[in-house]
Amino acid sequence: MSSFKRKTLSGRATLPQGTRLSPFSTSTVITSTGIPSLDDILGGGLPLSCSLAVLAPDHHSAYGELVQKYFVAQGLASGQKVCIIHDEPLRFAREGIWMAGSTPSTPAQASTTAEDADDVKASQHDDKIKIAWRYEQMKKFQTTVSSNTLNDDLCMTFDLTCRIPTAALDAARQSAQLIPIDVGISEDGTGVIKQIEELLSNDTNAHAVRICIPALGSPHWGDMQPLTVLTLLHSLRRLLHRYPNACASLSLAPHMCTDTWGGPGWVQKVGWLTDAAISMSAFGADPSLSSLFPSHHGIVQIHTLPAPHTILPASDKYSTLRGLSSAAGTMGGSGENNLAFKCMRKRLIFETLHLDLEGGVTERRTTPSSNAMALDASMIHETMPAAVLATGDTKGSFATVEVEFEPDATRAVADVPAKPKKPKKKVAFRSERPDLYDF
Amino acid sequence: MQFPAPDLVSSHRLLLITDQLPAPADFLLHRFLHLHLKQSKTAKCIVLAVSESLERCKSVASKANTNVAHNESFQFIDVLDQFPPLQDRGEGHTNDISLKCIYDLLSVKLSDSRTNGQIPLVILDDITSLEWLGVSLVDLSRFARALRTLCVKMDAALVVRHHIVTPSEPDMLLRHLLQLCTYHIEVRPLASGRSGAVSGEVCVHLGPSMKDTNEHVISRTSALQYRLTESSAVFFDKGTSTGVL
Repeated sequence: MSSFKRKTLSGRATLPQGTRLSPFSTSTVITSTGIPSLDDILGGGLPLSCSLAVLAPDHHSAYGELVQKYFVAQGLASGQKVCIIHDEPLRFAREGIWMAGSTPSTPAQASTTAEDADDVKASQHDDKIKIAWRYEQMKKFQTTVSSNTLNDDLCMTFDLTCRIPTAALDAARQSAQLIPIDVGISEDGTGVIKQIEELLSNDTNAHAVRICIPALGSPHWGDMQPLTVLTLLHSLRRLLHRYPNACASLSLAPHMCTDTWGGPGWVQKVGWLTDAAISMSAFGADPSLSSLFPSHHGIVQIHTLPAPHTILPASDKYSTLRGLSSAAGTMGGSGENNLAFKCMRKRLIFETLHLDLEGGVTERRTTPSSNAMALDASMIHETMPAAVLATGDTKGSFATVEVEFEPDATRAVADVPAKPKKPKKKVAFRSERPDLYDF
Repeated sequence: MQFPAPDLVSSHRLLLITDQLPAPADFLLHRFLHLHLKQSKTAKCIVLAVSESLERCKSVASKANTNVAHNESFQFIDVLDQFPPLQDRGEGHTNDISLKCIYDLLSVKLSDSRTNGQIPLVILDDITSLEWLGVSLVDLSRFARALRTLCVKMDAALVVRHHIVTPSEPDMLLRHLLQLCTYHIEVRPLASGRSGAVSGEVCVHLGPSMKDTNEHVISRTSALQYRLTESSAVFFDKGTSTGVL
């Protein structure tokens, strides 16, 4: 018998549910945010005892809140305690997302599965595209990471089309897994901090606790000043340091996410007082940006990254998306990738930002299809007389306008759609192909 | 390439470290701490922590082969423990009372450590956060001046870190601190953005209270670049990193 014994890790057995040791540092325990690509950016996941701030400065979208919904759903699904701090915490929880397939299937559900099947078929078909031998062996071009490679059991797969089932929510509520805290209890947030402290001090170390603040500084928080927000962030962080089995994720209200609200350097101050901070600036406010990047919904900017037990953030070494370590061998090399996010029908993903091929990959065709042009032409013909007649009615006494069309011209247009549809030209690289991001 | 030079930290000196969010100077603070503790067994080191946690101090130190958990010469003072919570504070003047507490505590600890000619090191890890948390500028600049005087009196070295959030125009607190410091160590991110091979660069400027000397000074044009490692950093001259070449 060999005298060598495998060293057993005693700590591994006592890890709370839904967490695991960071591959980077054995003293760090990480948990998932619910979004595999965000986990990758954070270096595997959000470490316990760390706070994450998501800034989404666009007023017309709610991407910050969406990240929080993922965070809550992941906590509930993996059996961790979830504490929601909101003006209507239970309503927020009811609007949450859930895993596909766990809800009773509705017609909408059925159609999505049919679409999925189509997607799969399409992807199989795409696989058979003939590729030049030189490139055939190369890896597929990927702009994001999938959960299969990175977080096998850490991160569940959620579907934005699925609501959280009421039964699951009630069960969580009854077993005190879901803890709602109303923000109305105090003006400046000290009451909230006290409640969190009470909650954490009563908690045993068996569970990981998630603290979620979906809209810090929304009108229900009262008249918040930059000082109160910073004090709240700082005291929250101190609490997390004291109770290292908790982690927090918060989104600031949209108007507070830019320097115009808190004075020069406001965003940086938020970054200094949290462990991880990212900005998700949606293109919605700027039409020129959305036309420049048609396949993304916004830019991701990283302010700070969690490093609870080391000097170097784990992300610098492990993040595939940021790509700081992938090139140049052992020394680490290249610059950081530009990151963007997009929200598809079923999921939110973070990915590397690339310019489209010239002219845009999604639009690339050899000739514009004739049938679309014909339809446009007929549309114009139909709408024009109506508009002219309307003006004719109001000023009926002054002028009469008569518009006539030669009947054979419209008939000629109507004949065109009968033409068989030209098949789209296949392009090997297509950014909107869903199978690349199949989690 | 070694940074800092062994005699950069010495008594009667205030080293001001400034950093920006893309390139935090945590590594320098920890490096000063580790070098000081390694230098001699009895040299005392007091950390006045505003945003750093003891847990992180310990784990970073253990990765750098320094034991701070059972080291009596290492003292960790959480500054915010001395503060009353926000709503208990009156109109302004309770702030300097609590800063006075810290000052008193520090002076007791420093007078305890005046033994065998070793220089104690005092590190204030984040003076800017105090300002953001509502301590008035006057109180803070007085506090910084009092700390400096105390350290000069007690033959101690003082390291203070300040965050720069508006690099284009220095804030008032920075101007005060610049007047006080002996050396100003500036940690900056690269203008070209983050990179895996180079994390940032360090320059050392002379403070106004120093006589004209070029000792330790590193100008911006010949800034020392560094790459972070798990527990510290690797320094190299501009453009000579193996990752760059």
